[in-house]
Amino acid sequence: MTLDLVIQQLVNGLIVGSFYALIALGYSMVFGVIKLLNFAHGDIYMSGAFVGLIVFSFVGIWVGNGWLGVVCALLVSMLAVGLLGVVIERFVYRPMRNAPRLSILITALGASMVLNGTALALTGGRHYAFNTDLGFAGVDISTVHITYTQMVLVAASIALMAGMQAFVSRTMYGKAMRAVSIDMGASRLMGIDVDRVIALTFFMGSALAAGGGVMAGAYYGSVHFFMGFIMGLKAFTAAVIGGIGSVPGAMLGGLLLGLLEAFGSSLPFVGSEWRDVFVFGALILFLVFKPTGLLGRSVVERV
Amino acid sequence: MVVSFKRLAKRLACATALAGLAMTTMAAAADIKIGIVAPMTGQLASEGQDMENAVKMAIDAVNAKGGVNGDKIITTTADDACDPQQAVTAGSKLVSEGVTAIVGGYCSGAVLPTLKIYGDAGIPFVIIGANSTKLVAANQGNAFLANSTGDMQATTAVELFKKNGYKKIAVVDEGDAYSSDLAKLTAEAFKSAGGEIAAKETTTAGEQDYSAVVTKIKSSGADAVFWTAYHAGGALLTKQLRQAGFQGGIVLGDGNNSPEYLEIAGSAGEGVYLLSPPTVDLLSGAADFKAKYKETYGRDAGAYAALSHDVGDLIVDAITRAKSANQKAIIEALKASDFKGLAGEIKFTDKNTLQTSNFRPVVAKGGRWVAAE
Repeated sequence: MTLDLVIQQLVNGLIVGSFYALIALGYSMVFGVIKLLNFAHGDIYMSGAFVGLIVFSFVGIWVGNGWLGVVCALLVSMLAVGLLGVVIERFVYRPMRNAPRLSILITALGASMVLNGTALALTGGRHYAFNTDLGFAGVDISTVHITYTQMVLVAASIALMAGMQAFVSRTMYGKAMRAVSIDMGASRLMGIDVDRVIALTFFMGSALAAGGGVMAGAYYGSVHFFMGFIMGLKAFTAAVIGGIGSVPGAMLGGLLLGLLEAFGSSLPFVGSEWRDVFVFGALILFLVFKPTGLLGRSVVERV
Repeated sequence: MVVSFKRLAKRLACATALAGLAMTTMAAAADIKIGIVAPMTGQLASEGQDMENAVKMAIDAVNAKGGVNGDKIITTTADDACDPQQAVTAGSKLVSEGVTAIVGGYCSGAVLPTLKIYGDAGIPFVIIGANSTKLVAANQGNAFLANSTGDMQATTAVELFKKNGYKKIAVVDEGDAYSSDLAKLTAEAFKSAGGEIAAKETTTAGEQDYSAVVTKIKSSGADAVFWTAYHAGGALLTKQLRQAGFQGGIVLGDGNNSPEYLEIAGSAGEGVYLLSPPTVDLLSGAADFKAKYKETYGRDAGAYAALSHDVGDLIVDAITRAKSANQKAIIEALKASDFKGLAGEIKFTDKNTLQTSNFRPVVAKGGRWVAAE
């Protein structure tokens, strides 16, 4: 591989990795707090992209299809889909909170199908164009072309993740979240409103996924009801690699997974069709040899 | 007591309703039932919807004129979701419903495992979209391919490459039966015509990020890219190739003929070539059909709508000539088809494939496809 190719794949890996990291973060936070693998998370990402597209096509009339429009779409979608996450938690997961783990897992699959099916019914399976005026302008480093959009995208997701990390580690709400994740019963005895903390976790996780969805929609220029499926699987993989339940782990896992994909598929004699083999092979290896991931703590089964 | 009386009344109502239902089913038994198999859910649901709509439109028109041989035609739709496993379930469902004939099939990968099911049951099956050469080999004699096959498309593709002066081609597929078959056939045909294959890549369906593949294509020095899979991925690949600064030509297989491709690719799609199936916009006599389709279903007729409509008419034509709903007679009638529809002529070879290719190269100009000359 030439140096140009290495730089190019590094850029590719960072961009796709920052999407994975954003989605993985929500997966990880929810798992950390209520030990639920929220399989509907990929569909939340998809819903975020659609809400973003709807907002974008309305505000675009007044503010144009440039950055301002995308930012409006991003903020509104994060708020709306964050609330959607809270509603799903309240009506789907809360009644199941004391049910066996397998039941709640199946419930999560059901929630995923409901969201996916609703989107299919509403959109008729069409791929919708998310056409922005962001353009392909950017800087050239020898043969590597990096657009301004790509730079903003990576910076925005890092800022969102850093904000999340600060929230979890510096604020009282973050402290409450961590407390609930360690021991829900004891937290309740200490006067923490557990229901509220869980709702907040869902809000933040879903808002991040929606943010990722809008950014992906605007960046790739297309939105469809199925887009959350592979993203959900990869984000789950990223969360496992980083250590599910760990916020910095999700970021690390996402970026590593993006880089693994980019470099894995450019190895000599290995075709791009092997890309997903690397991803899910890594998932299996981690699940077998280091299920707690790179930065995760081992979970002690409480009796 | 009151409660139980109510319950009884309810049961009675149920029973009456059931009896009514049974009677309508019996009444319908004299009708000719045609199965439509298409992806109604999944990634390609909008193509499937088009196929179902267009076939129904043809059948409705026939019924409005009094049906075929005095019988009404009814349709039943099975969803194969473009998934081989679900296609088998959908196929078995149609067989157990006792359909006279089946039309449809968009993804070759999903159609392939059903050929045996329909073949064993001896049901005439006219395939509308799917056109992998693997289907020709697996055909038991009851299936007919109304779309040009992959090798015809490969020939058209190589002609276009030579005309445009491309010497090194990167071929990209999605790993399914249709696109990998077309990729392989085109690569072979281009090599034997003296061309060079700079890269052969595969992407995952439903994926949004193609940057790793784009980087490989760019570094391979290819002067054109041939994308053999479907429009959703094609639009993303086109956009990402141009975003990465790829200046070469882009050629798309027939699965990309969708208005959505142009919408999503936007300005990146300008100048892209497409090997097009006979769509309504390219057909001179299809203006009425196009208007009527939009009026009936409130959406634009997609790439395969015209051909689907033709196949609906073709099967009616075959049943008329067979003078009965006998499946062997219908298969024989299909073999002898000499049909002229919106999308052109349908005459079959002894392998039940089209005699003449219906592909034509078009180029994107000003946000629409125009004939490439």
